[in-house]
Amino acid sequence: MKQRTPLLRWFGIAFILLWSLVPLYWALNISLQTDAQAGSKPSNYLPPTPSLDNYSSLLTGGTDLAQSVQQSSVNIFIECAAATVVTLVLATLAAYAFARMQFKGRRVLFYAVLATMAFPAYTTLIPLYQILTNFGLVNTYTGIVLVYVSGFLPLATWILHNYMSSLPIALEEAGNIDGASRMQVLWHVVLPLARPGIISTAIITFLFAWGQFLFPLVLSSDLSTQPLTVVIASLQGRHLVPYTLLNAAGVLALAVPAGIALILNRYIVSGMLAGSVK
Amino acid sequence: MISKRNRLRNVALVAGAAALSVAATGCSGGGSSASSQTKDVTITVALFGAPPPQKSLDEFKKSTGITVKWSTIDWDSLQTKIAAASTSNTYFADATDVDWSRVGQEGKLGWFLPMEKYIDQKAYAADMPQLSSFTSNGHIVGVPFDASYLVTTVNKQMFAKAGITTMPKTIDEYTRDLQKVKASGVSPTPLNIPFNAAEGLSTYWYQTTQAFGGSILDEAGKPQFTSPDSPGYKAAQWMVDALKNGLVPAGNINVSDSQGQQTLMAKGVTASTFADYSGNVGSLYDVPASSSVTGKLQYIPTPGLSGTTANVSNPDGIGILKTAKYPEAAAKFIEWFTSAENQADFAGASGPDKVMPGYFLPSRLSGLTKLTSAKGLAGGQELTSMLKTSKPVFPAGAPVWYPQFSNAVYTNLHAAAAGSMSVDAAIKTIADTATKLAGQ
Repeated sequence: MKQRTPLLRWFGIAFILLWSLVPLYWALNISLQTDAQAGSKPSNYLPPTPSLDNYSSLLTGGTDLAQSVQQSSVNIFIECAAATVVTLVLATLAAYAFARMQFKGRRVLFYAVLATMAFPAYTTLIPLYQILTNFGLVNTYTGIVLVYVSGFLPLATWILHNYMSSLPIALEEAGNIDGASRMQVLWHVVLPLARPGIISTAIITFLFAWGQFLFPLVLSSDLSTQPLTVVIASLQGRHLVPYTLLNAAGVLALAVPAGIALILNRYIVSGMLAGSVK
Repeated sequence: MISKRNRLRNVALVAGAAALSVAATGCSGGGSSASSQTKDVTITVALFGAPPPQKSLDEFKKSTGITVKWSTIDWDSLQTKIAAASTSNTYFADATDVDWSRVGQEGKLGWFLPMEKYIDQKAYAADMPQLSSFTSNGHIVGVPFDASYLVTTVNKQMFAKAGITTMPKTIDEYTRDLQKVKASGVSPTPLNIPFNAAEGLSTYWYQTTQAFGGSILDEAGKPQFTSPDSPGYKAAQWMVDALKNGLVPAGNINVSDSQGQQTLMAKGVTASTFADYSGNVGSLYDVPASSSVTGKLQYIPTPGLSGTTANVSNPDGIGILKTAKYPEAAAKFIEWFTSAENQADFAGASGPDKVMPGYFLPSRLSGLTKLTSAKGLAGGQELTSMLKTSKPVFPAGAPVWYPQFSNAVYTNLHAAAAGSMSVDAAIKTIADTATKLAGQ
């Protein structure tokens, strides 16, 4: 088969990069402009006089806006971190059980867990809302974290199951021969080996939780639990849209997941590919 | 064989799961514990704008004993929350937004308590011309708090430069004047129509249809725009022709209503918006931070077929959710929130300390009069007379299926403007959608 020419390959790479990065650049560009500059015709492809005023409005001072952004930033970190930790603990145990333990209905249960990923998440919104209301968990960290965990657990279990299945079983058997219990084998043998898979699952779960909007919108009712994604949407007025401010808020919300993706991208890729090659 | 211990464990697991399911889903929602208490209670008010000044809310608390917890949520998200809470019969706020376009839907589904139980309907109707827009099945679903109606704005300086000093009174005069502005080179594309496929395009068409002397639907929901001679058809043709003839910027195919106002009108790119928001002159075009045409724009009585025409209203209201914890207290808040004095204050009649950020115009005639006399509201006299004669888009109230209908309107008008279908085909599709929805 004839190899593609480097030129064509570079063209493809450049196209994908532009496709992905231009919107992000445009958000950054607008966020550094004043309203007048952002609305000028023709558009400014570079900020004429770059200004951090929009970021300053969002982050500093004691204004209601700054307080909202600060509190919702704290909320989103707490909710994402807690959801990630709980998901990891449960998914690790479930994945290990599905990968290594023999029990009746193992395959059916495993595929049932995977099948839940096929359901549109939104179909569960109203029942979850009712359940959380009945348990008094609406507008609480616990309620939001539980919903996140229920949503992300199947994917995390699947990724870790694939990873653990690809580990050599001989090491675990050696542990068993040495008298280690199953939990000791899991803790001292499997988890250290599965660390890359666990890290990638943690990153993927955290990023998924960070991008949530509809569920926290419905399940939170004030700033005590609203994450940054919900607060950013509320900046939009009924008749007036503060474009520069919205873009700055968008860039802020993007900074954390973008940083994680850039620094830890090899873990994300390995997590996604876990188990694909034996 | 399963051991006894295992069997017991399995039973316990199933029983636990069942108990959890029953506890979780067996109970109905938590919206049935309404209290008539109005003293020493805290109500939640969820609206899309910033709250009134804390000082005003404190005064309200002092006089009524009601503490207001304000939740700001953007309009689209708010509709999602209202639907989610009402569908699952759960509490999320006592008072919240009732948009004119959702009145039919929300009224039929019974998501809001009838307001006539709490207000003097006759007195309110006399001072609030838009109250009729909030009636569904004979009940008042909400009370308008912010008057919004579609008005025509004109950059008088650009018109004057093109030699136009007398403002147009008919659609024909208006079209000729726009062509004159274009021909003079003052603005190569003088008219702003937001052709982006969004609600703003639908409401623009409703106002233009009104200007051509007609309405969109009759009381039974039957489309009134199918004939090429009908006002709705002519309005759609006029809008699309304006784009094709270069009166409207070609890029407007993807411009939303607020984008057009903020980036075209406020920057002096276009000279007129036929269906603009009431209040935009004072809150956007005359604000130096957001406009390069301060003092140059004015409202004009909207040109019609043979003279000026009525303005179509699209107000925002506030109502009491059926799942409210304190309906009586919420009613007291609504009465206070929509009083003439507060409306005028929120719009700036008593100085910046009492301004409610983002508040546009009083829905009460008395509030608008007070505001006009207090601070010389830009175009106050014009706005007051327009509010008096403003008309609801649907005289019989917005139909239950309005969201689907509006979607068909803006999708097909956008397609006609983009050239992917003819105006005739677009109108036919919109009419077919309305007929199908009305027949369900």
